[in-house]
Amino acid sequence: MATETLDITDELCPLTWVKTKIALERLAPGDVLTVICPAGEALENVPRSAAEAGHQVALEGHAVRIVRR
Amino acid sequence: MSGGSSRRRFLRDLGGGAREVRSADTGRESVPPRAAQALDGSELERYARQLVLPQWSEASQLALRGSSVLVVGAGALGSPVCLYLAGAGVGRLGVVDGDAVELSNLHRQLLHFTPDLGVPKARSAAAKLGFLNPEVEVVPYEVRLDSGNAVGLLDGHDLVVDCSDSFDTRYAVNAACCAERLPLVEGGVVGLAGLIMAIRPGESACYRCAFPAPPPPDSQPSCARAGVLGPAAGVVGSLQALEALKLLTDFAAPLTNAFAQVELTDLSLTTVRLTRRPDCPDCGLL
Repeated sequence: MATETLDITDELCPLTWVKTKIALERLAPGDVLTVICPAGEALENVPRSAAEAGHQVALEGHAVRIVRR
Repeated sequence: MSGGSSRRRFLRDLGGGAREVRSADTGRESVPPRAAQALDGSELERYARQLVLPQWSEASQLALRGSSVLVVGAGALGSPVCLYLAGAGVGRLGVVDGDAVELSNLHRQLLHFTPDLGVPKARSAAAKLGFLNPEVEVVPYEVRLDSGNAVGLLDGHDLVVDCSDSFDTRYAVNAACCAERLPLVEGGVVGLAGLIMAIRPGESACYRCAFPAPPPPDSQPSCARAGVLGPAAGVVGSLQALEALKLLTDFAAPLTNAFAQVELTDLSLTTVRLTRRPDCPDCGLL
């Protein structure tokens, strides 16, 4: 299982989720992606979009921990 | 390059390049090395609204960027087809049209503007598409496609979208696509009705399977005689572009072994199922 970190602090919607989604596509099932989000919209949208896409999601402060489905 | 280093570079690029990316890679090669193919920041932003679609992926976008599409006709149907395919990020677009822009074209042919009157449509189309998406290579062919030059024009393309306005051209395109086994999206519009059909030669019914012979001369109203509303052509051309994207990326199943008949007066859509004809002169032997 690989663990990766993606920092999208400087991004705006929709690139916050675009970059997260593509990073997840490049991982294998079971791999973990930790996304460092800016406060605000992204911190709400990224975990919600990831969960809607079927991934396991946990929020730890500004870090969204996503286990790729 | 290992998959791990490729992935780290990709994640660093995704993060904007300025921030350190931590990695706890186990060493397993879970991601193929394809940094050379990766979408750059400009592409991510340009295609963001389609990349966020659940049905769309980076692989879809890369497939599109690696595709070459020939659009036959740069008129009422060809305009939305070219605009949407260039906008979506098809790598190379060939545009075939032997006509020049006329004043009576402009109500429905969205690629051409009043200052383009007299300009070859293929050239006018290429200019507009270059403004829309300079990442797309657009190649204008200022000729009318016919049975003599069809196979040559198709050479080097992965898909053909037929936006022509005559049955002769339509049958020539179908025959050439069958001969070359090139997928094809057919389309036609007259008045307020249109037809859309996706074809995988050798696998699904072709245009001649659906319509074995052209209608007798003068039995069908031409666009010039029957008229056509711009939005009707826009709907049909947009659906052709959608089917083309399906064939190019497999993000959804295209409408093969069937054609869709759209009637814009009441916004109805009828799907007519088809089967291949073993005796089809175009695809029967494939």
